[in-house]
Amino acid sequence: MELQKINVKFFVAEPDQVPLTAFIDIFHSWIQATDGIYYDVADYSHMHNGPGILMIAHEANISIDETGGQRGLLYNRKQPLDGSNQEKLRCTFRAALENCLRLEQEPSLQGKLKFRGDKGLFLINDRLLAPNTEETFLLVRDDLEGFLGQLYRGVDYSLARNLEPTERFSVWMNTAVPCEVAELLKNLEA
Amino acid sequence: MSQPETWKEKLAADQVLPDLAREIDIYEQQMELRKQGKIDEKVFAETRLRRGVYGQRYDNGQRHDGTRVQKLKLPSGGLTKGPETVWDAPGMMRIKIPFGGLNPEQMEVLADLSEEYSDGVSHVTTRQDIQYHYVHIEDTPSLMRRLAAVGITTREACGNVVRNVTACPLAGVCRDEVFDVTPYAKACSRFLLGHPDTQDFGRKFKIAFSGCKDNACGLVTMHDMGAIARSKVVNGKEKRGFELYVGGGLGPVPHKAKLFDEFVPEEELLPMAQAVSRVFARLGEKRNRARARIKFLIANLGIEEFRRLVLEERAKLPSDLRWTEYLSWAHEYKEAPLKPAASRNGGERPEGFDRWYATNVYQQRQSGYVAATVALPLGDVTADQFRALASIARRFVKDTVRTTVEQNILFRWLSEADLPEFYKAVQAIDLGEPDAGTIVDVTACPGTDTCKLGIASSRGLARELHYRLSEKSLELDAAVKNLRIKVSGCFNSCGQHHIADIGFYGINRNVNGYQVPHFQVVLGGKLKDNAGEYGVAVGAVPSKRIPEAVERITERYVRDREKDESFQDFVRRIGKKEIKQVLDDLTKIPSHDAAPSYYADWGDPREFTLEDLGTGECAGEVITQAEFTLAASERELFEAHLFLDDGELVKAARTAYWSMVRAAQALVKIQNHDVSEDEAQILAEFRCRFCDTQVFYDKYAGSKFADYLFKAKDFVHNGSEVTRDRAIQLVQEAQLFIDAAHACHNKLRSTASATRSAASPSGMASAGEG
Repeated sequence: MELQKINVKFFVAEPDQVPLTAFIDIFHSWIQATDGIYYDVADYSHMHNGPGILMIAHEANISIDETGGQRGLLYNRKQPLDGSNQEKLRCTFRAALENCLRLEQEPSLQGKLKFRGDKGLFLINDRLLAPNTEETFLLVRDDLEGFLGQLYRGVDYSLARNLEPTERFSVWMNTAVPCEVAELLKNLEA
Repeated sequence: MSQPETWKEKLAADQVLPDLAREIDIYEQQMELRKQGKIDEKVFAETRLRRGVYGQRYDNGQRHDGTRVQKLKLPSGGLTKGPETVWDAPGMMRIKIPFGGLNPEQMEVLADLSEEYSDGVSHVTTRQDIQYHYVHIEDTPSLMRRLAAVGITTREACGNVVRNVTACPLAGVCRDEVFDVTPYAKACSRFLLGHPDTQDFGRKFKIAFSGCKDNACGLVTMHDMGAIARSKVVNGKEKRGFELYVGGGLGPVPHKAKLFDEFVPEEELLPMAQAVSRVFARLGEKRNRARARIKFLIANLGIEEFRRLVLEERAKLPSDLRWTEYLSWAHEYKEAPLKPAASRNGGERPEGFDRWYATNVYQQRQSGYVAATVALPLGDVTADQFRALASIARRFVKDTVRTTVEQNILFRWLSEADLPEFYKAVQAIDLGEPDAGTIVDVTACPGTDTCKLGIASSRGLARELHYRLSEKSLELDAAVKNLRIKVSGCFNSCGQHHIADIGFYGINRNVNGYQVPHFQVVLGGKLKDNAGEYGVAVGAVPSKRIPEAVERITERYVRDREKDESFQDFVRRIGKKEIKQVLDDLTKIPSHDAAPSYYADWGDPREFTLEDLGTGECAGEVITQAEFTLAASERELFEAHLFLDDGELVKAARTAYWSMVRAAQALVKIQNHDVSEDEAQILAEFRCRFCDTQVFYDKYAGSKFADYLFKAKDFVHNGSEVTRDRAIQLVQEAQLFIDAAHACHNKLRSTASATRSAASPSGMASAGEG
């Protein structure tokens, strides 16, 4: 199975430390620091457990997402990626982790934001390509496990598929011990 | 069996109605032709608009980031999907929901699509549509197919056509209605969709139905055409009909609709709508968009003359079975409740239930049943919530769900005994908010969040007002609580500010050398009586001071109103001058250095600017029927090429021939708008009007291109053998014929333009002035 439309979410450790609306200003400042990559910031702070605050771009959206009542950084790759599935996973996870790290280091947040490296969500945002079935899981698992072996570097982890059939294909990733996103990023770069 | 790679393959023919499937195939081919540069960008823009594929802010490829204008990195190069509209820029998708009716399957698909193609949010609009934002044009055919599989079309959701037909969401369960208008709204929507007489408007056309006259219901008097249910006794039998209104509209210049007829019998509803459409298409302004709505035509002609023209047109219309064949079904039409009627009879009252019940529940005229409003914040619903609402619908009501023009969702036919469980279910997905239909339930258009025309942040302001008013909702005086607030991001009134008690529309003011977002305050509009009165503008207030303005106005109303005095009467009594004084000090703001936040808009830290204002696609370009038909001929030729590539020679030859007939029809339409689809008539008229007169004649090639058409006709009709070479030749000749038709069309247009300029040297004349 050729992976596309890969989404990755890493969760915030203590969501109450930073108000959701704080990310509006941060994302606008990020846009100012780039050159035409991002179109806009979408503000859904009025919705409960919604998509939160999004930074919209052609290739991928980045958001502080609150779906399922769990705040995290969602990296939503929209445009097709080239290369092997391993390369695509690496590219997507790295982008997600880099953005998590950048937010952790954001001066205006004064170190109040921390992401959990031990808990993540892998999702394919395409019901045609990846129906939420056991069959899809079997097709994806080898690639995902191969990649996660490198990401977690010997730390035990477990995978659990979201069994709700109406939802998109997604897999929860949990490590046995806590880890930081900076560490995961380093593992990927090694 | 191999896994389908596209939604087209996955959704086999039996899942999508053939007409809808064909329509989407055609659109996809038009996209391909646009990419090849074979369709003009203006024609393509109107083509996509007529499929609901709309532009969005920044789609001209640039955005002001608060300090400078950034050119957005979009890979499409120079490819556009309309004038100044970059192909790869995100767009808005509008989905028509006639009379707001939804079933659980549709709700689930809408939820899924919002996740896969948009930002995870479905937005209910002020016309009962659903909108997605940030959609890529390449995703739109799949999106349309998946909608079509559950019976939803996006066709004619935008553009100069009949838009979503709206109706009172309580139709069928209302205590005051004369009869249920649902089947009539449905029939009208179906009849006018794609109807040849509704394809040549200079501007959009909006229709609404209402079951009664006195309540807000369908907001009939602010529509291009509105119908209020009436009945009268004829020969001892009760007869259904409609009080018909025409020429209403909001926009920058609001007009109240004029009474066309006190009683149009039900069998005359559709033919009358058709006749109105024909008069509008024929006489409505086409060049000056600002005066192209039917309200201007009626204002110019006067209602009596307009009525006379419509009735004259009606008398000439050839009979159409569709005018009446739905009527027996309409009389039988009745929604079936899922559960038997049962009263609550005391019963459980979960926490928060009473407060919610007081504002969100309506007693249906059917005993034991209620309708409950699920209040959506700013009209937004997440994918998870929408799916959950679908489950809730299956559990309690099945398919009797409607979107409302107040951007909420109404569940009808709830057995009263189920209400506590229903409340717990919507509360569990954070949609159990009370205060529906009160001052807290603020309506807003998209404004600067996503609209190209937005001046100020209507959603930002609405969000702020909602927060502040919810916090003190319990303390609000009942007279204030029943007021409505509506916010538009600009003067175009998509937020319907004219009909709110307290309305706002975004404007820009220069203060201390800086641009500052402001809202014009509009007071005294009336939702009741089908949008019975329009408010008056009382002054501009800086955006960040609007919450204070609301507080001032409502406090003054509570303090000074006379016994049972309505807000409208109060505003009229104290007068504009007095209100201006009430707001006077709020019009001032501190200096930029002292308080820079006043110089930015709600929810947007960027310093306010109008740099991002784009060209609206609200009505699209006015594309003539001739241009549309020429574009259709190009598409048919493209199809012929595809048949040729697939080795289907007979189909290739026939389609190539038909593409020529279509191009000939385009030219004939310049002179005879009503030319039929009949091949013989098209060819006869083409020969008479263009060949015999040598209008279709090339300086060097003479009548060669016309000969291609007539020879192809003989070949196709004689049943001659189609060899590959002959098919290729026909396709090539069709291309030359279509090119010649374009040249002829351009020549005629230049001549007409020169004639107009000579007649009106200023170039400012419009039909309205003529």
